[in-house]
Amino acid sequence: MKPQVCILRTDGTNCDQETFYAFAKAGGSCRLVHINQLRSGAENLAHYQILAIPGGFSYGDDIHSGKVLSVELAAFLKEQLLDFVESGKLIIGICNGFQVLVRTGLLPRGEVGKISVTLMQNDSGHFECRWVNLLVEDTNCVFTRGMQGSMVQYQVAHGEGKFYTAESVLQEIENAGQVVFRYCDAASNRPTLKYPANPNGSLNAIAGICDQTGRVLGLMPHPERFVESFHHPNWRRFNGAEPHGIPLFRNAVRYAEENL
Amino acid sequence: MAVHEVRVISLPELKDPRSESLLYEIRHSLNIHSVNKIVTAKVYRFEGISAREAEFLAQNLLAEEIFQRYTVNEPIINDADILVEVAYKPGVMNPEAGSILKAAADLGIQNLLAADSSYEYGFFGSVSDEEMRLILSRLLVNETVERVVREKPATLIIQGSPGKTKVIPISSMDNDALMELSRHNHLFLNLEEMRTIQKYFAGLGREPTDCEIETLAQTWSEHCVHKTFKSTLVVDGRRKKSMLQRLQEATSAAGHPLVLSAFVDNSGVMAFYEGLALCGKVETHNSPSAIEPYGGAMTGSGGVFRDIMGTGKGAKVIASTDMFCFAPPDLPAEEVPEGCLHPNYLLRRVVAGVRDYGNRMGIPTNNGSVHFHRDFRAKPTIIVGAYGIMPAEDARKGQPENGDIAVVVGGRTGRDGIHGATFSSGEMTNRTIDVNASAVQIGHAVEEKRMSDALLRARDNKLIKAITDCGAGGFASAFGEMGQHTGVRINLEKVPLKYPGLAPWEIWLSESQERMALAVAPQNLPHLMAICREHNVEATAIGEFTDTGKLEVYYGDERVCELDMEFLHHGLPQRIMTARRESRRVEVKEPGPPRDWVKVCTQIMSHLNICSKEPIVRMYDHGVQASCALPPFAGVSCSAPNDAVVLAPVPGKKYGAVIAHGLNPVLNTMDPYAGGIWAAAEAVSNAVAVGADPAELVLIDNFIWPYPDEESLYDLDRAVDACVDFVKVTGMPFISGKDSLSSTYRSSDGKVIKIPPVLCISCFGRVKDVTATVSSDFKRAGSSILLVGKRDINQMGCSIYFDIVGGRSPFIPLVDTAALVKVWRAVHRACRNGTVTACHDISEGGLLAALAEMCFGGSVGAEITVPEQARADYFLFNETAGCFLLETEDPAAVAEQLENVPWLLLGRTAAEKLISVKQGQDFLFAVPTDTLFESWRRPMQEVFGG
Repeated sequence: MKPQVCILRTDGTNCDQETFYAFAKAGGSCRLVHINQLRSGAENLAHYQILAIPGGFSYGDDIHSGKVLSVELAAFLKEQLLDFVESGKLIIGICNGFQVLVRTGLLPRGEVGKISVTLMQNDSGHFECRWVNLLVEDTNCVFTRGMQGSMVQYQVAHGEGKFYTAESVLQEIENAGQVVFRYCDAASNRPTLKYPANPNGSLNAIAGICDQTGRVLGLMPHPERFVESFHHPNWRRFNGAEPHGIPLFRNAVRYAEENL
Repeated sequence: MAVHEVRVISLPELKDPRSESLLYEIRHSLNIHSVNKIVTAKVYRFEGISAREAEFLAQNLLAEEIFQRYTVNEPIINDADILVEVAYKPGVMNPEAGSILKAAADLGIQNLLAADSSYEYGFFGSVSDEEMRLILSRLLVNETVERVVREKPATLIIQGSPGKTKVIPISSMDNDALMELSRHNHLFLNLEEMRTIQKYFAGLGREPTDCEIETLAQTWSEHCVHKTFKSTLVVDGRRKKSMLQRLQEATSAAGHPLVLSAFVDNSGVMAFYEGLALCGKVETHNSPSAIEPYGGAMTGSGGVFRDIMGTGKGAKVIASTDMFCFAPPDLPAEEVPEGCLHPNYLLRRVVAGVRDYGNRMGIPTNNGSVHFHRDFRAKPTIIVGAYGIMPAEDARKGQPENGDIAVVVGGRTGRDGIHGATFSSGEMTNRTIDVNASAVQIGHAVEEKRMSDALLRARDNKLIKAITDCGAGGFASAFGEMGQHTGVRINLEKVPLKYPGLAPWEIWLSESQERMALAVAPQNLPHLMAICREHNVEATAIGEFTDTGKLEVYYGDERVCELDMEFLHHGLPQRIMTARRESRRVEVKEPGPPRDWVKVCTQIMSHLNICSKEPIVRMYDHGVQASCALPPFAGVSCSAPNDAVVLAPVPGKKYGAVIAHGLNPVLNTMDPYAGGIWAAAEAVSNAVAVGADPAELVLIDNFIWPYPDEESLYDLDRAVDACVDFVKVTGMPFISGKDSLSSTYRSSDGKVIKIPPVLCISCFGRVKDVTATVSSDFKRAGSSILLVGKRDINQMGCSIYFDIVGGRSPFIPLVDTAALVKVWRAVHRACRNGTVTACHDISEGGLLAALAEMCFGGSVGAEITVPEQARADYFLFNETAGCFLLETEDPAAVAEQLENVPWLLLGRTAAEKLISVKQGQDFLFAVPTDTLFESWRRPMQEVFGG
């Protein structure tokens, strides 16, 4: 049976269809699930092997980006989420989904209700949509198996993506190898703090992190926006390369097929 | 009940972008340097809960201790020289309040009755009162919707009791009294129309209610019924059919096979692929944006999205476009007419409004333009478009039947948009504050997004018989129209309200955003309600369709309106309007050839109408929905503009939609006919330049014109002639359109400014394969550059070149549309077979500007040769629409496709980033592309930073 992928939706989710398509293209069996269906019991996370929290402006990103959805998840679905992680299943949060994962506390420490890192307003002070270069770090993250050390290009589109935390926590996640993606300079292939290659001023150029198991991933850039060659703004300038988003979704589906 | 306050602020060591950008604006826009530092705090207020519960919310919802701290019922900025809090006015719904209530409930706080949020600014430095007044009035507080909070409000709850329905004794009124009624109540009806209404009620033997008068005024308003466009015209003594009729006849005569519906629905619909249809609508939102640019632009976007959502049985919005006209952002403050906002502020706030609505809705904004002209200083032109996709079988509305239910879905109804109404809210602060019921409200994009999600589900379950948006005219317009062939009865007391205290006519006419009106068969109602509930969307049955042929409106048992549909929709007397040509005298002043070519080139690239608009585009999410196959900017550094956007809106499918537009206001000022042709030619050429098939494109018109006095009406009629002739020659139909005839400003001393007339032509269509489309960036050095198209190079009137060198001429470039049709077909053939590697349309700025942009994209240069017989500056800077630059490695193969059309081999691309120009054998000049690039990028960077 194909791995079951739950694409979580709520008011203001807006990257659900393309996330659905990316997982489906990678071989997943996807379903769009509204949080009200989980709250009412009509749906249960236990039926799925992969949970994706897509991008968008959940509840308008009021108060903080992703905050209201995080509060709702922590209040009503804490047990289901913890069970999901404990049973070895996969969670990915993209953009607004990443903001939700850090605000529930699932990232980086897997402690629901305890926030240890945050995604703040971009240094530029405004929303920004552009393609960025990302260095894939060598980690145990299952989503990036085989991609380590490579440079990928994804689009970012956010106003609150600056990764920030206390120095001690930063050291902790760096030492534990939890940084999965860093914004990097196209010419040097090295992580950068310089705008616009680092579009938001993230500490240590961090664009995405995973938990210690490597099975919960959050990232600001949008891999689901690069699963067809023509998604790239300059596909007419080069040919043939596999769209950079594909391996990430395929890794997740394969892992679920083999392990769950 | 006590109001508790929580204040949240970022830790002092952290960057605070909100304060920094405010400080930047104070220094750059206001030239005030006494402010050393600003800190910003967010203020939350709660009613109904204890201080301890407020603290609980502060810890668990409002503040994150990693980067913030908070206080409860205590100030948080203690050391500032000046402290100012800015909040929405009471009655302007703060979109955040709903989220706070929801999250508090999710956290188990049960007694919260009301919540609000606002910002507090601490200013450091010796800022004078006058400087502070400027900062508040120019940057921080828009008095239409915001206010400075001077004392803590005693309550957050708005109270009031419903107003009464009044009877208006119209039967005894003489002509003066009728016109006084029209003026006083802002009905905008003329004497003939008022007398028609008087006669109708005399026939019924009773007096009308306020609700009936308002319903008629609304339904018969220029905005809703387009009286000018429907009038019979007498032009210089010659009778002509109405402008609308001519446009519609041209479209039906064109008989385009792809058109599914034209001019009859909220948007125009054409066939797409595999049983799908595409629809498009373009709207203007000038007046609201002029007084409150952020809210105005938001509600403009929200409204045009609802037009798509309300087309047929409902479409999904797949794209948004924005076209703006402003005065130059560096206009001296003293030149801004009284009561108008500065163009720099307008530009930035309009962009922010489009950004926040489109991004939150998840709709990519990826085609647009910004034009600048001093004469927009009294009022900007704000054009927003939206495009959608739906099953072709849902492209037409069903007919509501007797017994079908009238349902309102989405946001609640408030006093929004009711002209001139005021309401008292004495309870708020124990003082009476007169609140100007906002002509503009703050859009609530997420409300509209969840409503759209629910409605698409309902459509797919076949639950919707007919749907339309509640825009101008509110329920009166939506249900009045939907029930016009049957009859409808509405019970206003069932309508969910934002706050109590609305009179029945206000509920009926309210223009609150984010609402849709539906006709639903009774057996489908429970299913619809369940879908809406699951999506957190409010849906309410407020009436039913009848077979009485009447519009009946009740408030409880009281009948507040009963009008015959026949009279409402067909009682408006046909107008005859006269138009007269006024001769324009423009001297001809031809400049000499330029002495400093490089300077002219950099001036052209940095001209506001040419310069890069990338900083704006970057703030719009143009990639959401993962459909973009040709983005607004691409090329090596993703900074070179493309002519149109290409979308593949169905995941996994290679077929796509193309969207483009054309407008050039200064041309319409000089010659409305030639300017009209130019705009249409430009729109289509933009689409063809990216590879679209001209046979599969349709058009949308937007006329934004001064008030139609005889002279302006003449010009408008000429612009319509241009559109009609364009359809006749090209066979390309208009399938939707809109006019807005209020671009006239009158100051208190009676001085009139006519805003330049704008004809914006939008063009959209389908492309079989998005991977067979072309971008504008040169792909490699050493390939051939071809110039294709029939240019009218000695007509330089209104060109950017003349603007820069002080030339003047009434002769604007004329487009030979018959020749252009052949050019389009040839360019399309050449692009389709893959031999063209880059293509760019020539428009404002001329050939050189287009060439420079292609070089930017490829990070290459070019060597070109101007024909010996041509005047070199005119050759390089002429702006005839419908001409193209093509890059190819196989010029012979491309030439085969260019039979019967004018073309020439212009030159070659070069590895060195230099544009060098020869004429014959003579070297004219060379300019580094980096120099041009910098001057092209700078102007908008200065406005937006970054």
